[in-house]
Amino acid sequence: MRYYVVLRYIGLVLLLNALFMAISGCISLIYSDNAFLPLMYGAFVTALFGVFPIIFIPSFQDITNKEGVFIVVSSWLLSCLVGTIPYLLWGGVFGITNAWFESVSGYTTTGSTILIDIEALPMGLLFWRASTHWIGGIGIIIFVLSVLPFLGAVESILYRSEVSAMVRENFHYRARKAIQIIAGVYFLLTFLESIALIIAGMNVFDAVTHSFATIATGGFSPKNASIAYYKNVAIEIIVILFMVLSGIHFALLFNVFTGKIINFWKSSVVRYYLVALLLGILISSFNIYSQYSTDFPTSVRSAAFNIISVGTSTGFANANTAIWPGLSQLLLLFFALQCACAGSTSGGIKVDRIVILWKAFLKYFKKMMHPNAVIAVRIDKEAISEDLVNRSVLFVAIYILFVFISTLLLCIFKVNLLEAFSGTIAAMGNVGPGLGEVGSVGNYASLPITAKWILSLVMLLGRLEIYAFLIIFTRSQWSKQITY
Amino acid sequence: MGLRFKILSGFFILVLMLFIAGLWSIYELNSIGSSVQSILDENYKSIHAAKRMKDALEREDSGILLLLLGKWKEGRDIIKSADSQFIHEMEIAYSNITIPGEKTHLDSLKSKYNTYKRFWERPIVDTQKEGNIDWYFNEVHTAFLEATKTVEKLISINDENMYRTASNLESRANRAIMPGIIASVAAIIFALLFTYLVHTFMISPIIEMTYRIKKFEENKTPFDVRILTRDEIYDLSESIKELCDFVGSEGK
Repeated sequence: MRYYVVLRYIGLVLLLNALFMAISGCISLIYSDNAFLPLMYGAFVTALFGVFPIIFIPSFQDITNKEGVFIVVSSWLLSCLVGTIPYLLWGGVFGITNAWFESVSGYTTTGSTILIDIEALPMGLLFWRASTHWIGGIGIIIFVLSVLPFLGAVESILYRSEVSAMVRENFHYRARKAIQIIAGVYFLLTFLESIALIIAGMNVFDAVTHSFATIATGGFSPKNASIAYYKNVAIEIIVILFMVLSGIHFALLFNVFTGKIINFWKSSVVRYYLVALLLGILISSFNIYSQYSTDFPTSVRSAAFNIISVGTSTGFANANTAIWPGLSQLLLLFFALQCACAGSTSGGIKVDRIVILWKAFLKYFKKMMHPNAVIAVRIDKEAISEDLVNRSVLFVAIYILFVFISTLLLCIFKVNLLEAFSGTIAAMGNVGPGLGEVGSVGNYASLPITAKWILSLVMLLGRLEIYAFLIIFTRSQWSKQITY
Repeated sequence: MGLRFKILSGFFILVLMLFIAGLWSIYELNSIGSSVQSILDENYKSIHAAKRMKDALEREDSGILLLLLGKWKEGRDIIKSADSQFIHEMEIAYSNITIPGEKTHLDSLKSKYNTYKRFWERPIVDTQKEGNIDWYFNEVHTAFLEATKTVEKLISINDENMYRTASNLESRANRAIMPGIIASVAAIIFALLFTYLVHTFMISPIIEMTYRIKKFEENKTPFDVRILTRDEIYDLSESIKELCDFVGSEGK
């Protein structure tokens, strides 16, 4: 493998990070807060590391798939690493562990925080925090490719390495077109939500940072009480709408924006996604209403916001879900495992795989009754390859396995079972809030240092959909192959 | 880009990174010094003045009790010196306002002190107030307590500010150290990266060229080295190739 090729493309990623750090530094300057120097020095160091490989290493058009995977995984890891610099330099509660946790949580769009008092952070740093969500939302490499001029064959390999197999199956476009669609929809949604939130009464800073977090399905809010701070139904409805949209396959949203609404309703995955959310809201509303002395509209408001927030892997909150009845909490855990559609910014197992899993189960069931029948798994009348079905089933199994391993490890480090299990599901699905102390109004500050490192790893595993992350740690991937 | 530019840019980046980190650390250390000085200058002076005002108030209270007992001279002497002490400390406090809301507290103290002062400015000895404990407790002591409470509040806000400033010092110290640590770590990583790139794009091609020249010398194996960069190494390789081709054709 040619490490210098990897280094050159990582340089581009670092430059993108440096750009956002510099923008955050400017925000800091506007608000005259004390994060200007940390952000600018961070931007400076990151930019130098980005520029140097570009000066030294010539451009290559012939990268291999292995190099592509390395570029993607290294980009995520290095972005998380340089993302800690502003936090570390600012100080306060940010030691190495906390800075790493916050940075990983930002880039992976998890939205879990170690901050007890978020509002004590300077505006520049809050903006940087939200920016990490926005950079990570569509995938760091996709972001870089979308803002750079056409890179030729490299673009296709990097695109294939960044997006999951599930997304590739669903996007019937060439890499360049797919990147343009993803980025276009992403930027448009962010812009529209910002405008809508400003109209609903948010200030510009809050509107932009909340839009970054919503469209990236992240969940970092500049307010301690998250969306509950605003006590504004219009804001909650806008955020709900954009959370739901951000959980839908971006190619389908592109169809909607270009007037082909029919394609949107034809998708059984989207239909399942919307119906599942609706059912979850209904069950949870009645459950909360029957258990607590709240009026029904309040129960619906609380259930709708939090179920959608978790079901799209966003993680905003307008109520304390840690005190919800057991059934509603169980629903939250289910949605935190499932999350939204592939091809969106959401994390988790993904609705598409759940649908495939269900159809594969039905196929197996029919096969038991008619052993000689040739039955294909079909989605929207299209037969799905056996390989994709197998990979999906395997992915779900490995996903659950990692959830249990992480829970076990957290329990070893004296995290109680509820927090360990729900925290792991929330981290793996890049959702954010779990239950108990790490619930919607809680935070991860009190967890032991080791637990924070484990959860950071789990967030990365979840974001990179396990395989890509594990592949770079296999010995055979590090074999040398240099051409002068 | 040429070799000189590449090598110089590497060193320039390294120096710049360390230089800025050094400057920042100096700036932060300087800020720590300023913070310590501000604790001493601003808060400590205010707290000291407030404590002296409280002491003056207590002495005035003792003076009033002496007047109530009919000891005019002793009482007046104590009150007079305590009053001048209070006014002097009050001036110090006014000249050292540094915390938001401190002036409001001082204005309130001034007004409460004037109310209190009115009780002992008028004659007490040889009037119906002499020996009148009810009058003392109902009016004089109440005014005394009001003024004392305001002084205590003044001490408290200065104390809190001093604590806040001192707490910030820890964070400031961290900020002074962090740029140095990050610059050092970054410099080490950068040096490794620089070495790797110099090795890959400069040293290795030279080794490869030397090897190929030897091969050419030994058995006229064509000089074929693939250089990825378009710099002096590439030019050198092309020149050697041309030379080898020339020597090869001469030999024939």
